Amino acid sequence: MLDLINPSRIFNLIEKLINFINSIFFVLLIIALTFALVLSPPDYLQGDSVRIMYVHVPSAWIGLASFTAIALLSILSFVFKIKNLNLITKSIAPIGLLFTCIAIITGSLWGQPTWGTWWAWDARITSMLILSIFYILFILTHKLIEKEDKANKVSNIIAIIGLINIPVIRYSVDWWNTLHQPSSIKLDGTSSIHPSMLLPLMLMLLVLLLYCALILLMKYKTEIIRIKKKNIKRI
Amino acid sequence: MIQNFISMNGYGFFVWLSFAITFLACGIVYYKTYKTLKKYEKDFAKELDQLSEAERKLVLEKSKVASQFLASYNKSI
Repeated sequence: MLDLINPSRIFNLIEKLINFINSIFFVLLIIALTFALVLSPPDYLQGDSVRIMYVHVPSAWIGLASFTAIALLSILSFVFKIKNLNLITKSIAPIGLLFTCIAIITGSLWGQPTWGTWWAWDARITSMLILSIFYILFILTHKLIEKEDKANKVSNIIAIIGLINIPVIRYSVDWWNTLHQPSSIKLDGTSSIHPSMLLPLMLMLLVLLLYCALILLMKYKTEIIRIKKKNIKRI
Repeated sequence: MIQNFISMNGYGFFVWLSFAITFLACGIVYYKTYKTLKKYEKDFAKELDQLSEAERKLVLEKSKVASQFLASYNKSI
């Protein structure tokens, strides 16, 4: 299973996947934007400001999922000492930071017309801000520590500590009385969102996930080339 | 109708700015990632090119990634 992430096995596949995503991306983006901005109905309470949800919610999900993936891969890397996993976590981190920042900014833009404020030190919003700090620390570790092994160790520890924040973000709206609304979409089938809004949301999620895959593949390929370039002299 | 679509019933500023920030940020990250990848590819190809015939043969034999890279890079240029 772990052999599947072996660079020499998947190098050609990465190129093919990048070309495939590039070929379908813009068509899907136009479809998703048409649904999000034109075809989906305004909310009966929030009016057209609800359309911000189509970028805010997928971004927040991706920010959370990326850090969870980084933390789990860091644990695996810590236990099994697999260097390739560190290349993957290093490639995921900027994507996670990007989407966490987008979630915070679009959340602020949604908060102003809905709550009448750009920012509140609310449990959900504050824990998202803490998540972005963990991402920054993770990325800075790789930039500032020159010895790769040490950088990997420190960044793995940061990711594992940061994992504690993930359930706090997820359940903050249930544990505390927050300004942020509780989740409208639940995996157990008790979602309170109408299908006419769920469809554009899922389409936007798909488009943003494809974008993440594209960036991840390009960054992973860059990392592989960087390592191989370093190894040429050794050979 | 177009006026309504742009103004989004008074929420246009917030909605359009959210989408603009999202896609602008994604565009910038894509551009930077693409540029970095191309730079590394170019440097790696140049480094392989500067090796002597025997050295290059050894590298390509030992590194599957280097041989796959060179094949796809030569195809793309």
